[in-house]
Amino acid sequence: MERLLVVEKLAKRYEHGPLLGTKGIVTALQGVSFSIGRGATLALVGESGSGKSTLALCIACLERPTSGRIVFDGNEIATSDDKRLREVRPQIQLVFQDPARSLNPRFTAIDLVSEPLLVQGRLDKREREDRARGLFAKVGIRQEKALYRVAEFSGGQRQRLAIARALALEPKLLILDEALSALDCSVQAQIANLLVELQVSLGLTYLFITHDIAMAGHLADEIALMEQGRVVEFGLADKVLRAPDHVATRRLISTAPRLGAAAPALRVV
Amino acid sequence: MRYFLLRLTHAVFLLIGVSILTFLFSTLAPGNYFDEMRLNPQISAEMVAALRAQYQIDRPLPERYGRWVNSFLHGEMGFSFAYNSPVAPLLWVRARNTLLLTMTATLIAWALAFPLGIWSAATVGRLPDRSIFGATAILLVIPDLVLALGLLIMAVRSGWFPTGGMVSVAYESLSTLQKFRDVAWHMGLPVLVLVLSALPILVRHVRAAVAEVLDAPFLRAAASHGIRRRTLLYQYALRAAANPLISLFGFSVGSLLSGSLLVEVVMGWPGLGPLLLEAILARDVYVVIGGVLCSTVFLVVGNFIADLLVYWADPRIRTGAVAR
Amino acid sequence: MIPCNGWKRWLFALVVLHGIIGCAGFFAPYDPSEQDRERPYLPPMKIHMVDKEGRFHFRPFFYSLHLRVGSFDQFREGTEQAIPFRFLVTGAPYRLFGIVPSRLHLFGAQASRIYLFGSDAYGRDQLSRILYGGQISLLAGLLGAGLTLFFGVLIGAIAGFYGGWRDGLLMRVAELFVALPWLYLLFALRAFLPLSVSPLQAFFLIVVVVGSVSWARPARLVRGVVLSARERDYARAARGFGATDGYLLRRHILPETSSVILTQAAILVPQFVLAEMTLSFLGLGVPDPVPSWGSLLSSLQQYSVLVSYWWMYLPALAIVPFFLGYLGLASALQQGAGTGEIEERV
Repeated sequence: MERLLVVEKLAKRYEHGPLLGTKGIVTALQGVSFSIGRGATLALVGESGSGKSTLALCIACLERPTSGRIVFDGNEIATSDDKRLREVRPQIQLVFQDPARSLNPRFTAIDLVSEPLLVQGRLDKREREDRARGLFAKVGIRQEKALYRVAEFSGGQRQRLAIARALALEPKLLILDEALSALDCSVQAQIANLLVELQVSLGLTYLFITHDIAMAGHLADEIALMEQGRVVEFGLADKVLRAPDHVATRRLISTAPRLGAAAPALRVV
Repeated sequence: MRYFLLRLTHAVFLLIGVSILTFLFSTLAPGNYFDEMRLNPQISAEMVAALRAQYQIDRPLPERYGRWVNSFLHGEMGFSFAYNSPVAPLLWVRARNTLLLTMTATLIAWALAFPLGIWSAATVGRLPDRSIFGATAILLVIPDLVLALGLLIMAVRSGWFPTGGMVSVAYESLSTLQKFRDVAWHMGLPVLVLVLSALPILVRHVRAAVAEVLDAPFLRAAASHGIRRRTLLYQYALRAAANPLISLFGFSVGSLLSGSLLVEVVMGWPGLGPLLLEAILARDVYVVIGGVLCSTVFLVVGNFIADLLVYWADPRIRTGAVAR
Repeated sequence: MIPCNGWKRWLFALVVLHGIIGCAGFFAPYDPSEQDRERPYLPPMKIHMVDKEGRFHFRPFFYSLHLRVGSFDQFREGTEQAIPFRFLVTGAPYRLFGIVPSRLHLFGAQASRIYLFGSDAYGRDQLSRILYGGQISLLAGLLGAGLTLFFGVLIGAIAGFYGGWRDGLLMRVAELFVALPWLYLLFALRAFLPLSVSPLQAFFLIVVVVGSVSWARPARLVRGVVLSARERDYARAARGFGATDGYLLRRHILPETSSVILTQAAILVPQFVLAEMTLSFLGLGVPDPVPSWGSLLSSLQQYSVLVSYWWMYLPALAIVPFFLGYLGLASALQQGAGTGEIEERV
């Protein structure tokens, strides 16, 4: 399968400290390598602090990595200049975890979803509105609610709006950073199904970041496990769940409430 | 120790900054004392020129500033054109009077604010709290100029307080005790105005800080141990509420200082205020700079003391656990 | 957002108060500079409905005041002639809002001058002077607050949005300004500007001076809001689809500052009106004959006026309802925003 995204030895270090003092260094990513097939879903699993979100920001071109390569659709983007980045960025979109924080509560639904189009300067007002309404239909938001403010929607509906917004620029890769974690169980299932439908109908590639390995198993074709800034396990979902190589993977599987019971053989010794 | 040095350097930078600022302002003057003198037909042009040379007004600004800093560090603060005397002695006398007034007002205001605030916090929602709240609201709405003038008029018509100056005419012939009472009597009205204008804010802050602490679990635990209510209030609650109040203290010094300027002028108290005003009207540059700097010094010192108090009172700062 | 409804009531009250001052020409019976040297320092005249013979009149009336024989500050009413109070009279010409010419006044009297608030040394009507003076003082307050907020928002936004050395530098300077005794700095600034200027120049001088001293606190507050707004996920997301800095500031960040700005405005305006009053009172502000609340009070610096002519104090009370309105508004806004902080009055 052709690889849409290839990440090689990606590293990211942050400095922190006072303006005129000694600075401490935090290494968020220590040399991460993996890839995603076109039209497939890769689940990136790891506990908090493992560097998942930093990775997402780097791939989405919102942060520059300290070293390493990111190749998207044949283009090297880790070291590209700004002009190049501006062309590539619209093709990679991010859906955040908490829709309460990632959507400006004062915006109306239609303004929110058409914001990327407005910012990119394409299309006039009428066309933007039409496009937004089309997206409403795709994610299951009723048209009458177009002028409601974001604050008036429920959590699940807001996440739908977030997805709609992410689709506005017709991206190839969608990064879902814990996009289901803040939702109720039943809503999670609904949104997960929506995502699967959209993947099929629009030919999207997903990078699905989560700490829930059971969900990863459900949705992903391949799984990569991160621990302390490194990828410690990478392979087809089936294989990783049934016969993991790394200790960390095993530990995660055994503690996962749904999988643990069904796989007694994987208990950590 | 490090904290102390940090705050000290901070204070020094502040003073340097203020001195530069005020010195800079003086260059913005499109006219100065000498231009106005030139307009006076009684003073000859040569005299003006000679005076200008003597005060070296024509030198470049950084040089003048440097000289001024130099002489300042030697205790010399320039020359007053209007009084025809060095600035420093003029300032000291007035500054002393202002300090006397401001310190007394601060002490009395805080001494009143604490019991009122605590009482208010302890009786939240009930009559004492509501009446105190109402009284502070009324005082907040009346600006100090209005208050000062109003009280002055009442004093003048009723003759209760003297309305000007710091001492009576016969001051020199009084005994020490009588001198003390004389000054206190003259101080009564200005102090009253300052206290009344500062009180509402202080009372409200004390009330807020104590009320917040009164809800804390540790206090309930102490109460359940059977500790007396008064001890609870004054020793336990106050300690915990101390931190924001001490910061407020530093701030209140500043606002009382600003307020005292106006009150001194209105009430005729011979402090920095009237001196500054006269100097402004007479374009007496060095006195103005000296006066502004003097009050800033008081302010900075007051804040610095407040910082030290916070340091002493709050062990968290000592261990650097709380970022300032 | 500002959900609480209480603030609307305060705003309405303030609008009414400002409206009265704005239409000073209509509410004031006379032109503020109109002198009457024959009637200096007259006390306020009483309005009667019942005359000395016990007859009730529907139309209120007043008596003119005459000095008692042998006294120079005791007055008696000239009860021989009842001078009727007239409403909606034609009087001295004025321009409403500076544009619309009119001669209509709310009330007045034909035969004699009526001094509801007394008269000053030149026989000018105090009530009219208070109303017109309010225009100057309030305008100075509003413009000064506007200037301060403009600088405060500008500097706070730059510091908060860009961070780094700009933030550090600007906040250090702000600390400097906050630490200074406000009134002293104001005076010093005023000191170094020319003393004798035309009233118009004096007015703008005051506005600029007052406005440029107090930007530090609003700047700090705005910076805090901008800093936290910048880190929000939705700001990040907008950057993710290519938003420019300007767009981010305009649509996502600055709207968050609106409640801070409004609350600060409600606190600053009365402070600046008071500052103008103080400066004018001390002779450093708007000079005669232009009336401002402060200069109206300056005669009280003379002992004789202080003792004998208590009505010269009335302009001081004029500011109290405005203070009440603005502080009430600020308080309501703060409660609505949930900060509940007691703002310090500098």
